[in-house]
Amino acid sequence: MQNPYVPYPVEVIKIVTEVDTKDIKTFRFAFLNKEDEEKFRYIPGQFGELSIFGKGESPIGIASSPTQKGYVEFTVQKAGVVTSALHEMEEGTRMGLRGPLGNSWPIEYLEGKNIVIVGGGFAFTTLRSLINYMIHGDNRKRFGKITVVYGARNPGLLIYKDELDVWAKRDDIDLNVTVDKGDAGWKGREGFVPTVCKEVAPSSENAVTVICGPPIMIRFTLPVFFDLGFSKENIITSLEMRMKCGIGKCGRCNVGSKYVCKDGPVFSLAELDKLTKEY
Amino acid sequence: MEKRLIKKDALGGIIRKIGEDGPVYAPVKVEDNVLFKLLEKGDEPLTTFANSKNAPKNIFFPRTEVMMRYTRTPKGTEFASLETESGQAVLFGVRPCDARSYVLLDMLFDQEKYKDPFWIDKRSKTTIVSMACSRPPYTTCFCTSVGGHPVSSEGADVLLVDLGDQFLAEFITEKGAKLLKYFGDVQADDGAVKKKEEIAAQAETLITSRIPAKEIKPILDVNFEHPFWNTIHQKCLACGTCTYLCPTCHCFDISDEMKYDDGRRLRNWDSCMYPMFTKETSGHNPRTSQKERWRQRAMHKFKYYVDNFNAIACVGCGRCVMYCPVNIDIRKIVEDISKL
Repeated sequence: MQNPYVPYPVEVIKIVTEVDTKDIKTFRFAFLNKEDEEKFRYIPGQFGELSIFGKGESPIGIASSPTQKGYVEFTVQKAGVVTSALHEMEEGTRMGLRGPLGNSWPIEYLEGKNIVIVGGGFAFTTLRSLINYMIHGDNRKRFGKITVVYGARNPGLLIYKDELDVWAKRDDIDLNVTVDKGDAGWKGREGFVPTVCKEVAPSSENAVTVICGPPIMIRFTLPVFFDLGFSKENIITSLEMRMKCGIGKCGRCNVGSKYVCKDGPVFSLAELDKLTKEY
Repeated sequence: MEKRLIKKDALGGIIRKIGEDGPVYAPVKVEDNVLFKLLEKGDEPLTTFANSKNAPKNIFFPRTEVMMRYTRTPKGTEFASLETESGQAVLFGVRPCDARSYVLLDMLFDQEKYKDPFWIDKRSKTTIVSMACSRPPYTTCFCTSVGGHPVSSEGADVLLVDLGDQFLAEFITEKGAKLLKYFGDVQADDGAVKKKEEIAAQAETLITSRIPAKEIKPILDVNFEHPFWNTIHQKCLACGTCTYLCPTCHCFDISDEMKYDDGRRLRNWDSCMYPMFTKETSGHNPRTSQKERWRQRAMHKFKYYVDNFNAIACVGCGRCVMYCPVNIDIRKIVEDISKL
């Protein structure tokens, strides 16, 4: 029996500081045992428990796409004990990784549809995984039009800047990057995410929106999508809760009868409507 | 099924004999409490007792359990060893309510996907000898309201029933039958089996505390928001005693402990009664007050577990009723919910 509490040994092979405030970094891990990479086969939207012996574990969404072979990436904000220890790490350090955990973005359901991705702040990580998955090689033709609205408070807080530039040059993805307030060097769009969504006005025809961001952004963005005609079944998001085991045993991340760690973290708005509002 | 009769005063000797051949957990008197513990030389296993103060869930799910060990290396802190291996053991004298809690917790720890090796390993290697409640011990017992019975063999490998002058031993499972050799060779006759049935029927009538535990499920389904939830928690101290004594409460925390270069990852019992249980790093807490925590406890036992496993996560042992320092009574809560 594979013990689900034992992390796979991994090595930090690359660290990218994503933002000017330096508190958000992307960590690239390689599995020390090649066969573990195969066992850690994931789908965009799943998460892993970053496991630092002596400190603890932290559940974080997977930021890389399964189409990227040889490594797995997580973008982590420095916040508590584990993530602070992680931010202290240097390339070459060994630690642990458990997973993949949770359900995922509903890839099969998304196939053949137009996809609208809406992200705010650094909650863009599993959305980045999904975008890279959808635009990779042959995958691209399995999906319709891809529209992305991504916002941060200021240009210095945008993550994956190099990738945003690459996506911007592609003609098979409609990328709309915005900041609440620009700075001297900012030539892009200014405005809050809900407003930009209204301006971009993606059609709800055969379309699904996948949305992740701070609660305040989500609260103001949802009405925009309702007005555009998106049904609650076609608005999909991901929840966060305090977690420990990640496999529905330790009892703390439930919303009603559902455990966010194993029944989620991905839910449609229609599914969330059936749950209690305790999150 | 093999059935044997043994003299009442022979039972203590049988337990000690089993104990000579391998580890046995049994109820013993520790200061003023009856507790299950690993029998050591000189321990007197109790054969007449009401029930243990703590539920014997710690045998399979210890209060603190080492999951794995690790060590600091020049490359980082790396995995050293796993701690799942336990040996065969016999758990003697479990009351039917507590034996049933194992069946309920198997549903959680031994699911098709994501098995809990720590629970499963100990559970599969332990033989459970239940002791039926011929005379249910407490007025707070309510096993019959939640799907149990004072003479139930659910969860037991061997069931002992006090027939008055002797014990009837029923060997329910193959694992239980391995203990046959300790129980002599007096086969139980039809008379003994009939007497057991009479005792079982009578024991059931002696459980006078009845609550509408199954009936409240549809009420809970639609009353997550109800002013009633403002009324339970006011006197709750959030001490967590109810969850620690509960045979079915299974929530745990995982923590790390390091000394010099060596460390271990532990799991410890946790409780939904504590504010920190769900508090996130950001400071956000989805369950802001004791009201939400109490609602979670009641909902988890009588609705969520039913939704997920089609079983109530309560065995009616009454420990939470007996030992709550401010006399919160789950039976009254269920009763009140049934009237919403």
